[in-house]
Order: sequence, then structure tokens, then C-alpha cells
Amino acid sequence: MNLNAIDVEIMRNALSSICDEMYVAIMRSAYSTNIKERRDHSTAIFDTRGRVVVQGESLPLLLASMLGLVEVVLEKYGDTEMRPGDMFISNDPYEGRGSHLPDIALVMPIFADGRLVAFVADIAHHADVGGMSPGSMSGGMTEIYQEGLRIPPIRIMRDHELVADVIDLILLNVRVPRERRGDYMAQVAANLLGARRMADFFRRWSVAAFEEGADAIIESVAKRIRAGISQLPDGVYSFEDVLDDDGMGTSDIPIRVSITVAGDQMHFDFAGCGDQVLGNINVTTSGLQASVLYALKVLVDPAGPTNHGIIDPVSISAPAGSIVDAEFPAATAARAQTCQRIIDAVMGALAQAVPDRVVAASNGANTTLSFSGVGPDGQGYVYMETVGGGAGARAYKDGTDGVQVHVTNTSNLPIEALEKEYPILIERYEFVEGSGGDGMWRGGLGLRRVYRPIDHTCHFGGQGERFVHQPWGLFGGRPGQCGRFRLIDETGNARVLATKPSSLAVPPGSALMVETPGAGGYGDPKDRLSEMREQDRRHGKTSSRIQYQPQAEPPANVRATK
Amino acid sequence: MTLRIGVDVGGTFTDFAVTDTRNARTIFHKRPSTPTEPHRAIVEGLKEVLLENTLSAGMVEALLHGTTVGTNALIQRRVGRVALVTSDGFRDLLEIGRQTRPKVYDIHEDFPAPLVPRDLRFEVPERMRADGRVHVPLDEARLTALAPAILSSGADCIVVCFLNSYAFPHHEERAVEILRAALPPEIFVISSTEIYPEFREYERFTTAVLNGALLTVIDRYLDNLTNEIRDMGVTVEPRISHGSGGLMSVGAARKLPIRASLSGPAAGVSAVLHTAKLMGMGNVITLDVGGTSSDVAMIRDFAASEVAVQDIGGFPVRLPAIDVTAVGAGGGTIAWIDTDELLKVGPFSAGADPGPACYGRGGEDATVTDANVCLGRLNPIALLDGRMPIDASLSREAIGRLADRLGFGIEQTARGILRVVAATVVKALRKVSVERGYDPADFCLFAFGGAGPLMAIDVAREVGIGMVVVPNHPGLMCAEGLQHCALMHDFVRSALWIIDDGSTDRIVGLCADLHADAVRWFGEEDVELARQQVTWRIELRYLGQNFELALPIEEERIDHHLVGELCDRFHALHEQTYGFASRSEPIELVSIKLKAAKRIETVANEPLAPRPAAAPGGTRPVMFGFDDWIDTPIYRRDGLAPRQKLLGPVIIEQQDTTVLVYPGESADVDQWGNLLIELQSENRP
Repeated sequence: MNLNAIDVEIMRNALSSICDEMYVAIMRSAYSTNIKERRDHSTAIFDTRGRVVVQGESLPLLLASMLGLVEVVLEKYGDTEMRPGDMFISNDPYEGRGSHLPDIALVMPIFADGRLVAFVADIAHHADVGGMSPGSMSGGMTEIYQEGLRIPPIRIMRDHELVADVIDLILLNVRVPRERRGDYMAQVAANLLGARRMADFFRRWSVAAFEEGADAIIESVAKRIRAGISQLPDGVYSFEDVLDDDGMGTSDIPIRVSITVAGDQMHFDFAGCGDQVLGNINVTTSGLQASVLYALKVLVDPAGPTNHGIIDPVSISAPAGSIVDAEFPAATAARAQTCQRIIDAVMGALAQAVPDRVVAASNGANTTLSFSGVGPDGQGYVYMETVGGGAGARAYKDGTDGVQVHVTNTSNLPIEALEKEYPILIERYEFVEGSGGDGMWRGGLGLRRVYRPIDHTCHFGGQGERFVHQPWGLFGGRPGQCGRFRLIDETGNARVLATKPSSLAVPPGSALMVETPGAGGYGDPKDRLSEMREQDRRHGKTSSRIQYQPQAEPPANVRATK
Repeated sequence: MTLRIGVDVGGTFTDFAVTDTRNARTIFHKRPSTPTEPHRAIVEGLKEVLLENTLSAGMVEALLHGTTVGTNALIQRRVGRVALVTSDGFRDLLEIGRQTRPKVYDIHEDFPAPLVPRDLRFEVPERMRADGRVHVPLDEARLTALAPAILSSGADCIVVCFLNSYAFPHHEERAVEILRAALPPEIFVISSTEIYPEFREYERFTTAVLNGALLTVIDRYLDNLTNEIRDMGVTVEPRISHGSGGLMSVGAARKLPIRASLSGPAAGVSAVLHTAKLMGMGNVITLDVGGTSSDVAMIRDFAASEVAVQDIGGFPVRLPAIDVTAVGAGGGTIAWIDTDELLKVGPFSAGADPGPACYGRGGEDATVTDANVCLGRLNPIALLDGRMPIDASLSREAIGRLADRLGFGIEQTARGILRVVAATVVKALRKVSVERGYDPADFCLFAFGGAGPLMAIDVAREVGIGMVVVPNHPGLMCAEGLQHCALMHDFVRSALWIIDDGSTDRIVGLCADLHADAVRWFGEEDVELARQQVTWRIELRYLGQNFELALPIEEERIDHHLVGELCDRFHALHEQTYGFASRSEPIELVSIKLKAAKRIETVANEPLAPRPAAAPGGTRPVMFGFDDWIDTPIYRRDGLAPRQKLLGPVIIEQQDTTVLVYPGESADVDQWGNLLIELQSENRP
């Protein structure tokens, strides 16, 4: 078989069509809000070496988790123990190389000509995976056992039959099993769909052609990335940022990166990052890899496809047992907070290399709120959402206001859907005026959202970051404003809460308010165009009630060196 | 009064199809469009076609047209000034949208800024809860006090958008009343629910705002058009086509300009539907390939698939419309080599200017058209019946540049370009069929648009389709299709409750409300009883899901048997679509939709006059596979006789397109002149 550049492009199209179809099937038939509205799921096709060949539209963190699972399944079962009609499941960051427990990954080996030839896989963020706290995402837990059910890579299907024992065991351990069953079924059905499409695929293409094509498709992405890296000036670029706290007693956790660009290769060294913490913001190997690859792709090849080829030109090192390469049994549910900070740090470091492509610090968070309780109708509920914030200002335009940034891009749930489904009323959903850092280009604004439980007491758990350390600006741009959680009592008095509160009662008549962080500005504020100043005034986006103290640049906690 | 006239206003050309119902004969006419004054081309073209055929304006029985006035105005943002009045705490909702960015990895791209700038968004205390209880009463005094500020903002339209109004519109209705009383009558005041009362606030608000922004645009356009048409002696009002493939009156279009703006590709699908009905083909996939893009849609059981939400200029519009998937793959689409050294085709296009390299207008990029020229598939001397000379050597040069970089021959590269562009179209085709649980092999493919018939065989082979139909006038399908559209309107009621044995009464109640809406509309549009036609759809999902599946229901079945039957049908449809059903799970009724239409008599196309079977006008070498040049007979389409059978390899040329029949395949001409190309079964997997 000798595939040419046209065959490869056509094969890539055919495979990505399969991934897209699996992706849509999950989105449309799933129950978890995270999947159906917020699209926190992904699909992929792998070769027998465990390399991802094509990936459906998706969030960066999910790619790494699927990669890990296929690797482990290959190690644990080898190709001799896998049979047609098998399907494997896992969610564990350690045994299954996932990134946190709510991401459930399913992988199915594909056979042709009597042997293992590929895998199809899907992954989705479930609304609950058991553990101490509803939603399986709250703070206050110190080891992985508390965070939910750990599923090592095991069979969920054998000889084309679901393994009912495994499903029963899982469903007994998760909240609202009725809905979760639907989520598992949606994922199983999508893999089966993928398997059927792969069978069609192998009627058109030989196994040898697929193997050759997979190499070429991966190499084509590696080529794009190497070409992109080659355009970066060689050198060593460093940056240090800092996380607020882990919610369990450790504050001001350093995130440090030193990036070496040499020709078409890059090395990311995370020496100097803080140790892993008791709180659940630890990142495992796969999460670190996903964060680095995301930042790299944004900077050198945002339009290209995603597959294993991104990994080839990159090496990563991090101290074992640090917060960016945590070891068992560290808690990891809120690992996205740290992933966001890793990306901000990479942006900060490369600001000197590619000032036109990086952005100032964004809201740097994955501000998460979870509400649970028993509504006035006697029905228990769990509701979790993440709220966007400011996006960092760019070299030639303002940062976006109120948007999800970097590793997350999940939609909000329509308020009309939320209020129909849960006994919560949203009282405000608006920009936090003045929260974007000033600059030639202004940082994006944070969001304010107010939640009022209807006729019952609900329990709130939250995860805030950049609630203490402001998102920094670049090249003279000012930092954005921090975020905060507040409890508003019946009389309207507001009390500021901790950055990562857990199980806080919100009684009837009171409300919970979140204000997410804004983002840093870009360039000296005195260079801002007068038309932009006039528009700011007209739109009221900068009429802040909170006046900033002018701050020396760069902020004390941020050091950039070359 | 015997003339039914369809007018399709495109970016470059305005097409006319004039059918005289006395003899069912259709005359076609084409003239350049007038983008700055869009009505001008319609009026001038009408005068031309009537004069040339010695017909009079008084004979016009129906004038049916689709317009892109609204879409163009939105893309250029030359629209009315809209102010928003919304619930306290939510003035930024329009700008926050779904709080996402358009592309995960592109941090430099944003969604378009909202049409209503922040200083034109006003808040008023009011709040409805999801169950209809009033959380905060509407502060009427505050609203009245806002009127001067709204007036001085210079807005020509006020859009009132409150949360939960889709089910409980009282506050919105009251606010509209108050504002109408407080503001001068020339200022439009509309509410989100009167545009389309479905839940999901961002989409509903945005749809209402876009509608508001287009009110003055459409008014101006319709004033010009109706006046000039009346002046030339046409006694009937024109009708405007909309996104679900039906027509609306001038009055309805003035109220719902956003609907009139989504008509584009729907008319082509309507045309196919008409032809497919005559041919007795219920399951069809449509492929419309133009210069810059391909539109794909699915017809099942003689009905086109619909979507609930569409994208227009980066904004979601929540209105029912024929589900047309567009991809950047047309005749002018550019082939290039990416940084990964793979051959890519699209999404960029050489457009009409400079156009493909062979046009000789300075275009240096190799396009799909150039690939067809290189392989002899397109006439290498001239296109458009010889009216447009081309230079095949420029095609070979352009493709040669790519071939050198790839290390291929020119023909191999040209063939590769066609395979890659077909693969792009195949993806779109799978999206409309396979992703909805249907196997394209069970459908036939209708290929039209200038470049559709050239691409159709490659596409059909790839997905296992056995039959390709090329209608008689592939380049004029939209104008032709408009003649067969009916006056139509969509009504909806959101429900969002679990269906059980007790639901029948509530369903019957909702249906009665919808029916009353339809009766009112029939009255407004003067539709006599015998021509009133309604179709019902009910949308269901498992409780907790977010996407609903639609089931058609028959009016006479809206009774106590309905619930059980619906549940069974829903489980089956879910299984077919997603591969599993959850038979013990509760089912939620999301909405009931009613489509009201005025039944029209089908104008049967005039059969082709019998004539002797045509002989080829000549031959030219054509490359079909990778192998050899085959000396291929060239036929003229307009010379073909009914029932004539052509054995491939054959090229059939006509003014607006070229049809390709591969070796070993055959094409039959049916009684109306449609070409039916049967694909060999060994080509199908």
C-alpha cells in the first residue's frame, strides 16, 4: 500500500466524520447537563499503539484522559486478551490515567482481518460519580477516595453483552442513577456506532492502508506543529504565577515554568512548582500534558486538527509529587483551576517570544458552583455549573467579556431550562463593570450571577480562583479585578465567603452571589484610543464602583525573565 | 390571470420561471442582479420576460419570490436601530450569549457584537418564575418613566424580552402596551414571544432583536417592490418565501422580516420536492452546488427535514426552517497545499471575480472547475453554451503548480482535487442523513446548481447511493421551485411536562390553542376552508435530556389513544436515532408545532414533446479514473428525447451545467426530461 497526500486527506475526512457522528449522538441523547448543554465530552479513534489519530470537536483536557486510558488498556490486557465485542471503562486518574473522576471514558477495540486494528473511544463529564459530596466536584476533600467511585480499566461489555454486574455496581454508587444510566447508555451506544462505522470503513480501506494512513495523519499534524515551533525565536523563556489556595490550608502556591525553544522542538520544565496539596486542585500527568498542548496549539497552530502528532515535538518535565504532577492519592476534582494557571504561565513566558499571539492573564479560573438540596416538591437535586469571566486583552483588541477561557469552553444552561428543572431562581446575570484591567486594550469583564433557592434551604459548594491574586496585564496593561462569592441574607446584607466554600447552607430568603474575575489589560492605558475611551463611557463597562490602586508593573507575584 | 412567476434573487443573477397554467409551459429568464436596489432586477426582469413573450402584466396570477435583502443587511449591519427592554439584572444577556468562544483553540476570534449596544439595553423590574408565579411584579411606573430615555436613544424599534415569557407572556404583553402608549406610533414595539414563543432565552431574545432590526429594512424594500409592480400593471401582491419552504404575504413579511430572510436555499429544496412528487420518489437527498458552496438537505416520505435553530451572520435564529447544511465546496473552491503538505480543497473560493484560473481574469489558484477542465469533463473551449470562452492551458498551469509540489502528474492532481472536494460534500451529506439515523443508500440524490451534476456521481458512489437524478433545469431550480410553494405559517406551544395517562386533556387543550391560532391566520390571509391544510408535530424527549425528537401526528388521532401510541413511537425513534431506548423512563413533552398552509393545485410539468433520439454532437477525450483518456460522446441536453437511454461514458452539456455519466453507467431521460443515472451496484459497498 502506498498512500499519497490525497488518499491521506480523504481517509482523515472519513475518520473525522465517524468521530463527529459519535460526538453528536452523545450530546443529543445524554442526560447530564455537562454533556447535553455544555458539551463536556469528546470522541476519538486510536491506532493499536494507543495513539489518537482523529479527535471529535472537544475540550483539551478530555484528549489527554482518553490517551491515558487506551495506553493502560493496552498495557493491562495486551492485544491477546481483547476480543471483538469487548468495551472497557475507566475514570481513575491513577489506574486509568484520567484527569478527574467525573470524566468517564469508554474505549472499544476494533477488529478486522481477525486482529486488533484500532480503538474507538468516548469520554464525558458526568453530573455525579458518587463520593462525599453531590456533584463529585466540591472542595473539602483531601484524597481521591472521598471524591467518588474509582473505576479502574475494566470491561463494561464482553462478547457484545453489557456486563450488568459492573453497571449495577456503578449505578449503586452514583447519585440520580436513573439519569446516569442514560449517560452510560449514550456513551456505550456511541462507541457501538463508532464500531459499526469502522466496520464500514474497513470495507473500503484495507488494514494496511489504515495503518499507513494513521501514521501519515499523525505525522501531518506533527509537521504543522514543528513548522509552527520553528517560527518561534530560540531561547529560554520563564514565568511564575501563583494560585490563591487549595481550600485546605495551603495558600499562594507557585506555578513556575521554563520553556526552551530549540529549532522545531520545545521543552517545558515545571521545576519550582508547589508541592501537591490536600485540596482537590492537583493535576496528574495527563492534565499537565493537556494544558501544555492546549497552549502550544493556540500559539502555533490554532486551525489544525488535533491528534497524537502534537505530542511528538514536545517534552515536558515536572517534579513528581508537585501540584502539576501529583501522585496517588491526591484529590483532583478541581484540577481545571490549576490547568488554567499553567496556561496563563505559559502565555506569560512566551509573551516575549510572540507578543502578538499571547493574551494577558484571563480570569484564570474555572469558577464552579454546585447546589444541592431537597426542593419544595420533595425531590432531591444536584446542580453544578461553571461561570465564565474575563478573557485576557490581546495585542490588537480588548479581551472578551464574560466568556469561558482556555481549557474550558462549556456553554451555560439557559436560565429558562435551569429554572424549569431545579428549584433555583437566577436573579442577575450580568457583567461586573470595571473588572477588566485597563490598558491600550482592556481586559475582559467578569460575570455576576445571583442564585436564590425557591422555598427551601439549598447547600452550596464553590471553587474560586484569582479571588486573591489578580489576573496580570501585559506590556503595561493593568491587572483585572478578583472574583468573590457572597452570601446575601434576608435583609440584603452581603458577606464575602472563602474562595472555596463547601456545604454552605443558603436558607430561603437569602441568595448566593458570584462575581467572577476579570482579566488583565494589554499595553499602556495612556495609549488607549480616545474613541475606545468614549465607547467605554457610553457602554458603562468601566464605571467601576471599586477604584484600583495604581500598581507597579509587573505585579509583585509575577516575574518574567528571559 | 394565468401566469405563475417564481423569481430567485441571487448575489449575481436574478432568475425567473414563468409558467402559463393554460398550457403548463414554463419560460425561463436570467438577468444580472442589482444588489444596491434589489427590487430593481425583479421589476426590470419581469418587464423583459413579459415583453419578449408578448404577455401582459395583468395576466400575472401569482408573483413568488425569495429575497436576501434581510441577510445582506444583517451581514453588513445596515439595519434599524433597536433598543432592548428586559428583566432587571439581564441587560447583558444578549452579549454574554452562551458564554463560549466560537473556536476552542482560537483565542483571537469572537462572536459578533450584539446588534443592540449596551447603552440601548434598558432594564425594568419584573420577573416571572418558571411556574408562572410572579416573583417581581412589572414596575409599570418605572417602565413609563423609561420612555423618554428610550425615545432619545434614537431607536426605531423596541424589543421587549422578559424571562419565562415563552410560557407566561403577560408581563411582556403589558409592557408592549405601555410602551406603545408612551411612544410615537412610528416606533415599532414588539415582544420576544410574538416572534416565536419557545424556551431558551438567549436564542429567543436574539431572534426577536434580529427581527426588530430588519423591520425598517424590509418595509423599505417591500414599499419599493409593491409600488413598482403595481405601477407596471400587476394586480396581485407578491409573496415572499421563507425558511420552511413556504410563502408569506407582504403583510406577514412586514411583521416577521427575519423569517423572510432565511429563504435562500429552501426554495431549491421545494423545487426538488415538487419534481420528486411527480416522479413518485419519497426519499431524496438534495445536492445544490454553486460557485462557492454546496447545500445538502434530506427529504423523507415526501417531506423535507427541518431544524429548530439556524445561524445567520453568527447569531442563532430560533425559527423552524428546512434543514440545509452548507459546506464551502463549489466550482470556484480553491485547492491548496497546507503546512502539513496535504492537499486541501476549500473553504476559500475564487468567487466570480477573479474566478477559476481558466476564466483568464487573473485568478492563479487552482479551483474545482479547473480540475474538471483538465480532465476534459468541462468543455475546454467555452462554457455557458459557448458564450464564455475559457483557456484550458491556464487550468493546467494552475494545477501543474500544485502537482509539482505534490510530485504528481497534472491529471492525478486534478482527480485528487475532485476526490477531496467530494469527501467534503460527503461529510455534509452524512450529517443530514446518517447522523439522524438514516442510511443514504436508501435515498436517491438530486443534483442541481451549476456544478452539482459534475460532482454527484463521486458523492453518490462514496455513500452507496444507487440513483442520481439531474432535473431538467438544474441552474434554475430555485426560481422554478418558488412556483410550487404554498402560503405557510408555523405555530408553536412549549409544554415541558411529563406525559402520562392524564396528559391527554392537556395535549388536546394545547392543540385547541394552536388550532385557534391557525384559524385566525387563515382568516387574516383569506384562505377559504377547502384550501386550509394543517400538519402537526409533537416534540418529545426522555425527562432530563436536552434534545427532542419530532413525531408527526394526525389531527384525527388527537384523542385518548394518542399518549400510548406516542410513547411507543418515541421509543422506536430514539432507538433508531441513537441506538438505544429507555422504555421505562418518563417522557417529556417539549412542544407541539402546527404548520398551517394554503393548499395549492400542483402545476404538473409539461411532458417533453416526442422527438427522435438525439445523436452525439461530437466527442472529446475525458479522464474518468486514473487510467486512460476515453474518447467520449458529447450530447446536447435540449436535444434528448423522452425515454432515450444513454450508455456511459457520456457527457451531456446544457447552458447551465454539464452532466457526467461514467463508463458502465447509464442515463435514462424520463417523460419530463429529467435524467436518471443509475450507478452500477459493484460501485456500491
